[in-house]
Amino acid sequence: MKTPTLPPTTTLLRDARTWLLQGRLPITTAIALLLATLFANLVVADNFLTAFNIRSIFANVIPLAAVAVGQTVIVLGRGIDLSIGVIATLSSVVTVSVVEPWGLPAALLAGLATGAACGLVNGLLVAIVRLQPIVATFATSFVWAGLALYVLPPGTAAAPRMPDVIVLGYRDTLLGIPNAAWLLLLIGLSWLVLKRTRLLRHVYAVGGDEQAAFATGVRVARVQVLTYVIGGAYAAIGSFAMLANSGSADALAGGGLTLASIAALVIGGTRLSGGAGGAGGTIIGVLVLQLLTSLLVALRPPTDVRQLIDGLLVILALALAGLWSGRRRGR
Amino acid sequence: MAFLEMRGVDKRYGGVVALDDASLSAERGEVHGLLGANGSGKSTLNKILTGVVAPDRASIEVDGADTRIDRPQDAHHRGISAVFQELSLVPDLSVTANIVLAFESTRLGFVQRRRDRERAAALLERFAPAFHGNTLPLQAPVGSLSPGEQQIVEIAKAIAREPDILVLDEATASLYSAQVEVVSAVVRELRAAGALVLFTSHRLGEIYDLCDRATVLRNGAVAGAVELAETTEAELVELMVGSVTAPAQEVVEGRGAASLEAARDVPRLEVEGLTTDRLQDISCRVAAGEVLGLGGLAGQGQSALLNALFGAVRIRGGSVTIDGQPALPRRPKQAVDHGIALVPGNRGREGLFPVRPILENLTVPSMRGRARFGVLSDAAERAAAVRAGEQLQIKYGSLDDGVMTLSGGNQQKVVVGKWLLTDPRVVLLDDPTKGIDVRAKAELYEVITALTEQGVAVLLNSSDDDELLALSHRVLVFFEGRVVSELSGNELTRDRLVADSLQVAAT
Ligand SMILES: Nc1ncnc2c1ncn2[C@@H]1O[C@H](COP(=O)(O)OP(=O)(O)OP(=O)(O)O)[C@@H](O)[C@H]1O
Ligand SMILES: [Mg+2]
Repeated sequence: MKTPTLPPTTTLLRDARTWLLQGRLPITTAIALLLATLFANLVVADNFLTAFNIRSIFANVIPLAAVAVGQTVIVLGRGIDLSIGVIATLSSVVTVSVVEPWGLPAALLAGLATGAACGLVNGLLVAIVRLQPIVATFATSFVWAGLALYVLPPGTAAAPRMPDVIVLGYRDTLLGIPNAAWLLLLIGLSWLVLKRTRLLRHVYAVGGDEQAAFATGVRVARVQVLTYVIGGAYAAIGSFAMLANSGSADALAGGGLTLASIAALVIGGTRLSGGAGGAGGTIIGVLVLQLLTSLLVALRPPTDVRQLIDGLLVILALALAGLWSGRRRGR
Repeated sequence: MAFLEMRGVDKRYGGVVALDDASLSAERGEVHGLLGANGSGKSTLNKILTGVVAPDRASIEVDGADTRIDRPQDAHHRGISAVFQELSLVPDLSVTANIVLAFESTRLGFVQRRRDRERAAALLERFAPAFHGNTLPLQAPVGSLSPGEQQIVEIAKAIAREPDILVLDEATASLYSAQVEVVSAVVRELRAAGALVLFTSHRLGEIYDLCDRATVLRNGAVAGAVELAETTEAELVELMVGSVTAPAQEVVEGRGAASLEAARDVPRLEVEGLTTDRLQDISCRVAAGEVLGLGGLAGQGQSALLNALFGAVRIRGGSVTIDGQPALPRRPKQAVDHGIALVPGNRGREGLFPVRPILENLTVPSMRGRARFGVLSDAAERAAAVRAGEQLQIKYGSLDDGVMTLSGGNQQKVVVGKWLLTDPRVVLLDDPTKGIDVRAKAELYEVITALTEQGVAVLLNSSDDDELLALSHRVLVFFEGRVVSELSGNELTRDRLVADSLQVAAT
């Protein structure tokens, strides 16, 4: 093909293409979905706008928000972590088990280290041993689950609990805004900080075109390993919110977070094959999922259709994303 | 002892020998040509020097010191940077982010975006003449740029690393002459500053213009290392392909223009008032057996017309008829059904299924014709693929290898070959000889001649003016999405073509 010299008429076209390439169109979908679910909740649930309800929505959303931001970093680097929800579980049982003897700060550090270590193992399996991410992390998810059951067998008589300050503080408000909402803000800010690092730039490069990034001198394997470590750390942060929300840990909880995290990031406009998107959209996706759940609760359907909904949403969102990029190519 | 010494370089890909005891020796302050036919191992040698491909065996010395280059970072530390034939750009990242990738300005691990933007802007300033004085949009994702613009970004990126050794692997193949001039100027500047430039191109004109000496590869081995001032073009071609091939002009000589006059009354393809986002009111008639050239500055609508005729872009108005039947395509599939074939210019994105085998890439468009009751016979598919492979002399290891294992020029031949198997009535060629060697070009010209003899109407867009003039019966000159003139007969000269391409540019 010849090289277009840019006649003015093409700049408009270029802007449109730019717009689509950056995945902003999907973001508008996420925002539309957010407004729609918000509206539906307002219509269906008459207690929706009560302070209690709003506080509990935020309280329930933090674990998924943290995990989904972590998953987003991994997916941006062309990976995926099917064990991320179970990492959160393992980290939560570790934290709660040591909070009594070691004190809160050390327990949180132990939880964080657990999450990061699990991420490191996943990352090494994917980037160095070169296993398929889906296979490797599916396998490790069983290892983490086994470890969690070992650390905290279910049905333990005197199950360890988190200190009351945490549990009460989590549901409290500051300046009239729920503390959990502040936490969500912090998670969002942490993403904005992360996004400006050289590491994240390289994550986008590796996800966008691994071969090009390698040829340019990006240390591809190192970058990929680090995405899993960051993902594991975010999972640990999610686990703290789980603990604060319920006061204790459950070695069988957390698995559902994995699928939901993928649903959230796809709705939020992150490309599953990596290289485009971001955690801002993911957080909107998380809110959409949470509002859908509260809508379902208000409608009282048979219990636990949440995973069904998450699964359907992933498929639907992927199909829509595919249609869009299809149209884009047809331009 | 020369500044760069590569000796005993071997590289095999399965059964394919890409390099066989190749060597190269070049000095600072030199532009050194690396020449050879498609698949002769040029890109492989370049990739070994830049650490992208691990050789089976190699000894590399830079500035008298033994140098191990295991990874791209090693090459970078030795002051080696490269423009890769297939480019090394990340489409989603901005122009700036691509130029500074892997050596961003940082403070405490954070990217200093403003600083990087200034660096990129200063660098691209040098290339502004390539875009009529406009600089490229620094924030735009590279994927939204045209192939030529991307090529310039890739070059700027390599130069940003301030290399002692700069590898340019077919860096000019998607550029038109004015842009090549800009790149040449930059290369001369680097040479004057004492850098070594390794220059790979299939355009002999550029090689004589820029290079001082050249190493010629043939089948992975060195066929010769020459002083260009003492070597004729014929000698050079002979070193590359083993025997002298006919230049383009001879292939098309003695074409029966008179019989075409008669045929033109019944056009094979007729386009009336075709309008799209980028095209305004295009009308033309192409007779069976005629080659209609599409000329003008790059990107003035030539590719857009071919894409529109192939149903790949939305058509806003106008009509298309083939043999008197309405044939306005809404989708590529319809175009194929009407007997239209498109050989696209951007083979990576539009022309190939990169991860599929060569066999499938060759046979997919024509499968339906060979299927019986919807079932394909493996033997028939292979026979068809082998036929196309022979016709175009595609150099491959096995038909089952992935198509990306082919050298750049051989990939391009696959793109052409797969459409020839569909027995088309109208063939749209969008810069078909980009990156293919002299012999393959001559072969492709023969294929085009054979197509016209079968009564196929050919539309040819080419960035190579000489090729356009040699092959076309008539040339339409494009400017900003319109046809501004039609050249035929004795108006069909280089001077007229250049003049008409630029005439309106004064506005
Ligand atoms: N990744 C690969 N796997 C298998 N074979 C390969 C691979 N890369 C290159 N080859 C083979 O090695 C040989 C040399 O290829 P190379 O790309 O170096 O050629 P080239 O001289 O650059 O050709 P061109 O002018 O077409 O770009 C070719 O036969 C090619 O098919
Ligand atoms: Mg090559």
